[in-house]
Amino acid sequence: MNKFVKFFLQAFLITAFWANASFALVEDELVKETLSAENVQKPETHINYNYEDTDVVDIRLSVLEDIKNEKYLQEGQLVKFRVVRDVKYKGEVVIKRGTLATARVETIITNGMNGIPASVVFGDFNIEGIPWSKLTSNYEKYGFDMSLLVYPLKWALTILPPTGSFTNFIKGGHVRLKSTNIITIQYHPNWL
Amino acid sequence: MKKFILICALILLILPAFAADEAKLIEQQTIQSRIDDCGSKLLNSNKIEKRVVFAYSEAEKSGLLEVDKDLTRRQVVVYSGKYKFVDSDDELAAVLARDIAIAVRTYDGIFNGSLRALQIKAAPKKFEIVADKTAVDYMVKAGYNPLGLITYIQKTSPQRRFDMISNKNLTSKRLAMIYEYIYMKYPYFLVNNTYLENVHYQNFLLTSVENRRMLHEKIKNHLKGKVKYE
Repeated sequence: MNKFVKFFLQAFLITAFWANASFALVEDELVKETLSAENVQKPETHINYNYEDTDVVDIRLSVLEDIKNEKYLQEGQLVKFRVVRDVKYKGEVVIKRGTLATARVETIITNGMNGIPASVVFGDFNIEGIPWSKLTSNYEKYGFDMSLLVYPLKWALTILPPTGSFTNFIKGGHVRLKSTNIITIQYHPNWL
Repeated sequence: MKKFILICALILLILPAFAADEAKLIEQQTIQSRIDDCGSKLLNSNKIEKRVVFAYSEAEKSGLLEVDKDLTRRQVVVYSGKYKFVDSDDELAAVLARDIAIAVRTYDGIFNGSLRALQIKAAPKKFEIVADKTAVDYMVKAGYNPLGLITYIQKTSPQRRFDMISNKNLTSKRLAMIYEYIYMKYPYFLVNNTYLENVHYQNFLLTSVENRRMLHEKIKNHLKGKVKYE
């Protein structure tokens, strides 16, 4: 009987060893070296929602520091804003003027040929006391759209080939956001 | 009696054909409803206030002269050629989220977004990356794992030789950019990686060693510029 037990035990150990050896994984060294010591938080999800209510209040924001160009921003960076006017709902002030807010730079789109403007998508708005789920999900700020000029010009020049193709090299504008510019996002007080 | 036998024989011949048709229809309905559920979840979780609809098509891929329906009709069409690679809900969400990102952009701007659609058509490489990044955001908000986008692209997109004169980015470049985006914004998914034992993710790790090394250099040296992925 002992022989049987010994045999099964040996067989089990050998199988376990080979199974481990044959499924050796390629490890992600980058993550292991740079992130394993960091305290990373689980990103917020928005799975439980209810959009039954139709009440909506505008929140006007202005950026604290001027953004001269999208090149000064990075994806994931936090940008600080200030609430420009008191936000009232049913006669009560829910957000005071001057309250600080933050938004994350979600995506940066560089300007391109054919007059395509640069743009920056701000998301994850965070205003003290207001849950994320009740705010507009994102706001996109565009540079000057030159394609309005490029496309008509390109079509007008098709009779003189290849001059129309030269309009390809006209680039769109950069994103500029001054502290005097106001952006508006929506607050839905009763949304989940 | 002869008539009766003839009718019975005819019924017996025709019935299996109907049964086959019905089975196919039920299969299509199941796929369509899976796509609809996943798509609506993405739209709701991300508070997308624009209408986007979803359709499953039995065709392998869109026709050569067919216009992108996500640009013109804000309809995300999942072709059977794409769907057959979908292994999990994360991957299905990845397919839909990319197209939703494009469809939603066409609501913006003058002429009811027509100009924006034209811009997307004129700069497909630029907006391919934008759609990838936006898809990651959409997936995370809806509770999906964004690494599903990596495994899906790893399986489906072929690797071209050059992308200088192409209207598409090199797949390896795209994958590296998505990886970097997840690394910077949602490192949680890399630290708690549930895809580490997925063969396709392992294949991505294997084929992206050089690009990940470049990203490592950027992080180690606190550089801010764009990495020139291969």
